[in-house]
Amino acid sequence: MPKIKKKGQAGAAKNYITRTQAVKKLQLSLPDFRKLCIWKGIYPREPRNKKKVSKSATASTTFYYTKDIQYLLHEPLLQKFRDQKVLEKKISRALGRGDVSDAARFERHAARPEATGKPRYTLNHVIRERYPTFNDALRDLDDCLSMLFLFANLPSTSAVPAKMIARCERLCLEFQHYLIVSHSLRKSFLSIKGIYYQANIQGEDILWLVPYKFNQRIVGDVDFRIMGTFVEFYMTLLGFVNYRLYSSIGLKYPPKFDQLKDENGAELGAFSLEGVNMATQGETKAVTNGEEQQQGPDPKVQAEVDKIIKQLKEDESKSDETAEEDAEADDEEKPTDSIDKFEPVAPGGDVLPQPAYSSSDPSQLFANFTFYLSRETPRQPLEFILRAFGCKRIGWDSVLGEGAFTNDESDPSITHHIIDRPVVQAATNEDGDGEDNQTAQKVGPNQRYPGRIYVQPQWVWDCVNDEELKSPELYAPGAALPPHLSPFVKAAPGQYDPTLPLEAQQTEAEAIEADLEDAEKGNAEDGSDVENDMDVDEAEDDEEEEEGDEEDAEEAEEEDAEEDEEESKTLQRQLELEAELQGKKVQNTKVDSKTKAKLEQRKALEKKAREEAEDLERAKGMLSKKKRKLFEQMQYTNNKKSAQDEKLRAKRRKLEKEKAQKA
Amino acid sequence: MGPKATEKKRKVQDAEPESDDEIAPDFDGALSQSEDEFDSDFDDNEHEQDGEQESGSEASDDEDEEGSLLSDDIPSDAEGDKAMGKLVLEDEEEELEIEIPGVDPKRPEKDDGDKNYRIEKDANGNERYVYDEIDPVYDSDDSDAQEAPNTIGNIPMSFYDSYPHIGYDINGKKIMRPATGDALDALLDSIEVPKGWTGLTDIHTGNPLNLNDDELELVRRVQMGMIPNELENPYPETVEYFTGIEEKMPLSAAPEPKRRFLPSKNEAKKIMKLVRAIREGRILPYKPPEEREKEEEEEEQYFDIWQDEVPQEVNPLHIPAPKLPPPGFDMSYNPPAEYLPTKEEREEWEKLDPEEREKEYLPQKYDSLRKVPGYGEIVKERFERCMDLYLAPRVRKNRLNIDPNSLLPKLPSPSELKPFPTVAQTVFRGHDGRVRSVAIDPTGVAVASGGDDGTVRVWELLTGRQVWSVKLSSEEAVNTVRWRPAKDSFILSAAVGEDVYLMVPTHASVTPALDQASRDILSAGFGYATNGQQHGAAPGKEPPAKWARPGAKLEDEGVLIRITVRSTVKVINWHRKGDHFATVSPSGQRSSVAIHTLSKHLTQIPFRKLSGLAQTASFHPLRPLFFVATQRTIRCYDLQKLELVKVVQPGAKWISSFDIHPGGDNLIVGSYDKRLLWHDLDLSIRPYKTMRFHSEAVRQVKYHRGGLPLFADASDDGTLQIFHGKVPNDQLENPTIVPVKVLKGHKVVNKLGVLDMDWHPREPWCVSAGADGTIRLWM
Repeated sequence: MPKIKKKGQAGAAKNYITRTQAVKKLQLSLPDFRKLCIWKGIYPREPRNKKKVSKSATASTTFYYTKDIQYLLHEPLLQKFRDQKVLEKKISRALGRGDVSDAARFERHAARPEATGKPRYTLNHVIRERYPTFNDALRDLDDCLSMLFLFANLPSTSAVPAKMIARCERLCLEFQHYLIVSHSLRKSFLSIKGIYYQANIQGEDILWLVPYKFNQRIVGDVDFRIMGTFVEFYMTLLGFVNYRLYSSIGLKYPPKFDQLKDENGAELGAFSLEGVNMATQGETKAVTNGEEQQQGPDPKVQAEVDKIIKQLKEDESKSDETAEEDAEADDEEKPTDSIDKFEPVAPGGDVLPQPAYSSSDPSQLFANFTFYLSRETPRQPLEFILRAFGCKRIGWDSVLGEGAFTNDESDPSITHHIIDRPVVQAATNEDGDGEDNQTAQKVGPNQRYPGRIYVQPQWVWDCVNDEELKSPELYAPGAALPPHLSPFVKAAPGQYDPTLPLEAQQTEAEAIEADLEDAEKGNAEDGSDVENDMDVDEAEDDEEEEEGDEEDAEEAEEEDAEEDEEESKTLQRQLELEAELQGKKVQNTKVDSKTKAKLEQRKALEKKAREEAEDLERAKGMLSKKKRKLFEQMQYTNNKKSAQDEKLRAKRRKLEKEKAQKA
Repeated sequence: MGPKATEKKRKVQDAEPESDDEIAPDFDGALSQSEDEFDSDFDDNEHEQDGEQESGSEASDDEDEEGSLLSDDIPSDAEGDKAMGKLVLEDEEEELEIEIPGVDPKRPEKDDGDKNYRIEKDANGNERYVYDEIDPVYDSDDSDAQEAPNTIGNIPMSFYDSYPHIGYDINGKKIMRPATGDALDALLDSIEVPKGWTGLTDIHTGNPLNLNDDELELVRRVQMGMIPNELENPYPETVEYFTGIEEKMPLSAAPEPKRRFLPSKNEAKKIMKLVRAIREGRILPYKPPEEREKEEEEEEQYFDIWQDEVPQEVNPLHIPAPKLPPPGFDMSYNPPAEYLPTKEEREEWEKLDPEEREKEYLPQKYDSLRKVPGYGEIVKERFERCMDLYLAPRVRKNRLNIDPNSLLPKLPSPSELKPFPTVAQTVFRGHDGRVRSVAIDPTGVAVASGGDDGTVRVWELLTGRQVWSVKLSSEEAVNTVRWRPAKDSFILSAAVGEDVYLMVPTHASVTPALDQASRDILSAGFGYATNGQQHGAAPGKEPPAKWARPGAKLEDEGVLIRITVRSTVKVINWHRKGDHFATVSPSGQRSSVAIHTLSKHLTQIPFRKLSGLAQTASFHPLRPLFFVATQRTIRCYDLQKLELVKVVQPGAKWISSFDIHPGGDNLIVGSYDKRLLWHDLDLSIRPYKTMRFHSEAVRQVKYHRGGLPLFADASDDGTLQIFHGKVPNDQLENPTIVPVKVLKGHKVVNKLGVLDMDWHPREPWCVSAGADGTIRLWM
């Protein structure tokens, strides 16, 4: 006789464990368990069959793998949590006794990450466990960066201590410095939520969101304890990542931090990077803030500096970014990591796409320019993005904080002026801008320095995303900006792409429809004889009836199309009736041969569509129930997508028409 | 007292040489005394030993420890000694100590400032610090321990009369005899009697014994025989503190343990441990708070944590958190205009609950960057992401990234499946009321139909012209009409109520020879019929059917035989050879199924008992099998062996009709619960395919008999559905079933649509009978 198997002793029932059971097994409180799960990256699982898993009558919602929980049992942090619990007990006991000084003493010696921003324990081993290799850590950096950049911009409250914010800010700035030095920022996007950045570090694409510099409204039920737990982990992670990144390009970590400059709002400028050895020091300094020391627009010094920069740039372009140790031995034989260009020797071969980074370096996009940020522009993102794409000299108004290349708007070395204010039309007299006295120099409202390019901030982003300098006329102050497009959307076949002309992407039916509408409109304007049209109408009506007879189960889209058709027809009829009532000659469309052809085309298309729908219906009938469901689901999403695209196209068509009418 | 004291003294003296050695270093440390100062050492020692003796301790092996413990007391010891010396040496006014117990000798206050030593010269001329005697304040409750200043004991004082002293004090010093006053003094004394003067002399000290008032009172009370202390009442009233009942046994008779009186050694050890730990720095006192603050501000130490990184295999169970999708065009601060919502879309979005919104934001356009406000929901969105990261169960879902059309089966295109009927070619009108049944004759030229009006009509198939008609009944409807399948005759059978009529209609295609042949076939059985009936029917029992001539009027029309069975016949099905046919009357209980033999005019009831109501019955096209459908099942009987072969279970609630494929291995079943089921009889008793394409009950199903792979069903929703159903010759292959056409045209009347249909024997044509009173030919 085979062994009788008991229920709940093997299989799914053993593999899964509910949250309550897990908490009990670990002998932790729920918040501690939560912390542990967050840090160790343990997340619930969805069992295939909940009924088989849960032993209780009530439906449990959260299940973990038993193995995961067993793995947590060996966690050293567990002991820390227990110690903390003991301490809390001691404190409460002391307070119960009324022994306040004792309690205070206990508390002073407690590990209080919430209050101090720094825990007594370290998460180093957790980082190492969760990310066995550096690339694993980079892969998971999206959330980390978004979170830390958000916290760096939060106001300090009791839940979010100022120290934590300061540390987040510092880590973020350090990371930005790395991106600047290594030129690994790739793309950026101004969205309504904030600014998205994408960097490519060691082949990993990292995308994060930085909110705009406003006081963040904290709405509703946001539990900052949970967020704090995440931030704690992320801070440690980013610290180690920064260390690794800095040391990978031969910089010392942490970089020198100037408290005074930071208090004056220097942000990125408060750090000064140092090389690990002396040979690299000069170079890295030049990259970060070497230029900013000199304030005056001394042309001689400027020229010299320019020369040095040019030289440095040449050096950089010759040598690889990371291979800075052998900067002195710049032979032409030196092997580089950069991709070689493959030129076809003989004609006839296929052309393979190759990354173009070797030919024109986008990281030096702004290298030769001097920017001046006017005071209404967002300094921090502009400074970061300009520096990351090679700009070395950025000046700004003194109200924007310290660390500028120059605060003097009239500096002759400035080549680009980023401005974001409307063009003042009237008021040519100087009295008008009396309140505009915050700037060092008073400039007339429309006054421009000659020889300078004035652009709106979007110019910088569009240049960066397209990896080329866009024409500044489109972005002149006061001009209507071209749309700012997301660089992260990859064009998929059949999907709507706003950069392409409408004709290239609309379907045949849509095109015919649009043409017909145009024709009808055009005809409605110039009147013509009646009978012809009536005939056509009748014919169409007949056809429609037939259709109604023949088909009941039709696709939704098709019905839509028909409705549209019907609508236009009823409109026409309405027009006719009105005309009759007024006793006028019926103003109506002369159906010229072209329109007729179009109509026929449409008819043919409709017929084809109908046939296809019928075929589809037949084929669907032969599928098994399961497969039919799947098929319908897939079709649902596809239809939804195409419907959205269609909507967009329709909108655009309308807009274009309006524009054409205006013109 | 005396002997005790001497004994003590002797002991002390014995111990003198070695105790000095032992103890000296200890005291050296504590008091920085030199060896010369023997006296004080000695004194101390003595006191100590006294103490030991008194507390009953035995040996002095742990003397050093105790010495260290007691060393604190030494200065006061010296004081006491000095006081004692004073007492001995000087003043008269001091009263004697012994006299009243409990009264402490007053200690004279020190007048030599705060110094407790004096400087002397020792033998070598060096300076020597001489400390005062130490008074071991001995606080004992023992009143007996009051020391007598004179230690000579209980001997007559007369022994000392010849000496200048009168005894020895506790330190072994002589107690000098007080000077006896001279005569003048005595006189003065006698005149000026001091207070409390008694005129007596203290025998021990030799001083005049003075008594104060209290003492005098005491003496007086003793003399009077009164209670010595007036405050003390020797017989007070009893106060019962607890209870009057006397306890038999005391609560605890155990004597107080000794440890109560001793300092705990264990505690001392613990304290020493702590002291040692503090000295060695193992226990640190708490740091001052400033230091701690500084420590907190210290930077976290970072290092290259991935120095020796080893790539690990990805755990297949681990599901990394999905990344957030990148922002699309519509999230731009300055999107293309077509992404902006219209007014209606905006209103719709605002009307929805925040949870139900497809996107959490509305695209918006700002004409310059400075106008972009902060995004209010960003903290919340981040928080939700955090919640998702740690609380959302992760499931790996395999997204089928394929074209959905690839899922569809490769159906042969309808053109390949042709021919099949597509359009209504002819509509046969003429029946009054519903047409219940329709059938095409085996040659394929005529259509017979029967309806609610009680007539049976025969039509020209292609033209729709009515060629023959007979009214069988004025009250009852013609339930079914069927042709005899053999081509050598032109015989139509029709069921009206309980009667089944066999007739030979006239038709253009019917030659007189054929007509005659048909009539012969019908009338051939009359001879048998009488015999058979007499044979088959037991006397008194009603025969299963009566075969008779219907009467002259009908016979003129061509109706030749009437068979009357017990209950209303709904179904007639002929055997392929045309000699037998089966009728089914569902209400007929036991006799619901009857098999009639035409050549013998014989009717048999094959089943004595049927489980369930018989719905329809049919002969197998090739083998001697007979199928009977009850409501739920189809039973297959072997007619030769007379046994049940198999029970087919379509799983339908109520079977309406079924048909057997001409090949004999497949079966289609229509049911009133809207299903059409294909059975492969070799495969299983369960359906191979279930088709649910009708919205109403399926009334009739039919295979094409002429070699085309077609079958069709008629339904109450007014449609016929034509299927391509190819049964392969290879047994291993499954039949392919493809729906090809829906034929719409019949109108639904009183929820009844198409009631019957039949295929043309050769062509891909079919006719259908509708509740709307029409018959349609589809081709």
